[in-house]
Amino acid sequence: MSALFAASVGALPLQLAELFTFDALSSVLFDALSKAAVYAMLAMGLTLIFGLMGVLNFAHGSLTMLGAYLGGLVMVVLVTGATGPWTRLAFFFVGLVVVFGLLSALGATLEVGLIRPLYDRPPIYQILLTFGITLVIDELVRIVVLFYGLQPITEWQEALGTKPYFLGQQLVLGPVSVGGMDLFEMLLGAATVAAVWAFLTRTRYGLVVRAGSEDAEMTEALGIDVRRVFTTVFALGVGLAGVAGMLLMWDNNWGASVPLATETLLPAFVVVIIGGLGTFRGTVVAAVIVGFADALAQWLFVNSVVDFPPLPQLTVFLILVVMLVIRPQGLFGRAEVGGH
Amino acid sequence: MSSSDAPADDTSGVDTTTETDGETDSGAGTPADPLLAVEGVHSYYGESHILEGVSLDVNEGEVVALIGRNGVGKTTTLRSILQLTPPREGHVHYRGEDLVGLGTNEVAQRGVGWIPEDRRVFSALTVEENVRISVPKGGDVDAAVARVYETFPALEERRNAEAGALSGGQQQMLAIARGLVGENDLLLIDEPSEGLAPQIVADVADAIADASREATVLLVEQNLPLALDLADRFYVLDNGQVVATGDTDDVSADDDDLRGYLTA
Repeated sequence: MSALFAASVGALPLQLAELFTFDALSSVLFDALSKAAVYAMLAMGLTLIFGLMGVLNFAHGSLTMLGAYLGGLVMVVLVTGATGPWTRLAFFFVGLVVVFGLLSALGATLEVGLIRPLYDRPPIYQILLTFGITLVIDELVRIVVLFYGLQPITEWQEALGTKPYFLGQQLVLGPVSVGGMDLFEMLLGAATVAAVWAFLTRTRYGLVVRAGSEDAEMTEALGIDVRRVFTTVFALGVGLAGVAGMLLMWDNNWGASVPLATETLLPAFVVVIIGGLGTFRGTVVAAVIVGFADALAQWLFVNSVVDFPPLPQLTVFLILVVMLVIRPQGLFGRAEVGGH
Repeated sequence: MSSSDAPADDTSGVDTTTETDGETDSGAGTPADPLLAVEGVHSYYGESHILEGVSLDVNEGEVVALIGRNGVGKTTTLRSILQLTPPREGHVHYRGEDLVGLGTNEVAQRGVGWIPEDRRVFSALTVEENVRISVPKGGDVDAAVARVYETFPALEERRNAEAGALSGGQQQMLAIARGLVGENDLLLIDEPSEGLAPQIVADVADAIADASREATVLLVEQNLPLALDLADRFYVLDNGQVVATGDTDDVSADDDDLRGYLTA
């Protein structure tokens, strides 16, 4: 192993030179952008909730996983072998609306019923509560999935099979070729970021959310019911987690499974911390940085230098550690955010 | 300046008082139904007893100053009126309605505006966004913004700048503008001159004087000449209690007794 590693490192300069070929660069670029889109979608809801309410929602990954299963359920019910690829795509967007609606309703219920009574307690209460919600959701999903004869720890293949064939292919766009699913993730990610950005900057409610994220007390003193805004934003954040889950349900690298909860929570937290807790702009920038670091590390450590899949993940966490040392508040973070 | 054991023939123009719960001596010319009546309010931070039975009245159209040294409970009085620090005892009547038990947003919706001590403009929002968010739901936002720029031309020049990038004086102007567009009948203004250069203080004073033509004002201010210049009446707060009150026409800023309440 060490000899293999030494040989690989010795060949590093040559392999790095390979990166600067058109094919390698375009491959890394598209991989990076699709990863960035996924990371942004995973982290958006988390950062909105923390930014306004100061609540670290440890159940975010489980809600993403729930969205993946609910989305998969919608697709499995609607799609048959005879369903055409474009109809499947249309059904996906129907499912997206359904999942967003259901998860938002769940989010509103959780905020009003469980989280609101704890606002005046120390943050550890909210952390423990959301961690408890994670355990409950994970176990409930595991029981339901097992009841229907599915394996909870492996991807739901039937749901993956509802994907239109062209999303599983390499698409040739002029001189470059890009994976269909990668392109879909980029487009959906960009559309979601644009929609949330427009909501935050072009609507009065978005203005209230941004003001409340900075100073909830002052916002309240302007006659705005910040508690109601909390409920709306928690619902929106959970709905976005569901949307991300539905997207990942179609991705071969993720898929609907119970472990998806943990697999998505960690990168979501990494992105939110690097961007600066609670800042939407920081989250989007951090998602791009982490996406590029991940894609580059993947190219180096899986495709080129040495085949050791855990190393790309290590790179992402290394960025997190460096950020925490040199700029603990993150790229765009403030000393304090949120509050009630 | 007299203290609570002042002689009966004191002619300083200051009525000394140790007001207790529900007993208010609001000075000369008080109509029967004040716009705001704070009655025997006791407020706490945790277990610290900050206000010990504060009572005061503010009549419609008046500017009333609340003065006293640091830490005597002036800001807490404003926070208690707004229900940001809800009183544990006592009442806050506004237009005859008791505000105790309402949410802060509900108090604000009734027309009580707050211009806080440290401005508290939304630093990540632009100047214009700060104004827009302060217009009540259903209000004419564009007209309100135009009015603010007419009153404070300096803000129009920085309309797209983040409020956090403004100077202290400009932030204070923005905070006052925010209170004005809120269509408030009562403005609670906390230490508006704090940390500002003398020339800027003069501008702020003009802005408050303009604001007082549209709304009743309860002004917390340690700058005694400014407070007396702007206000019709004053209350002196000490150790969480109203200890003196009077008409500003009857006192001067170099009144030793009055100044005594402002120095440690």
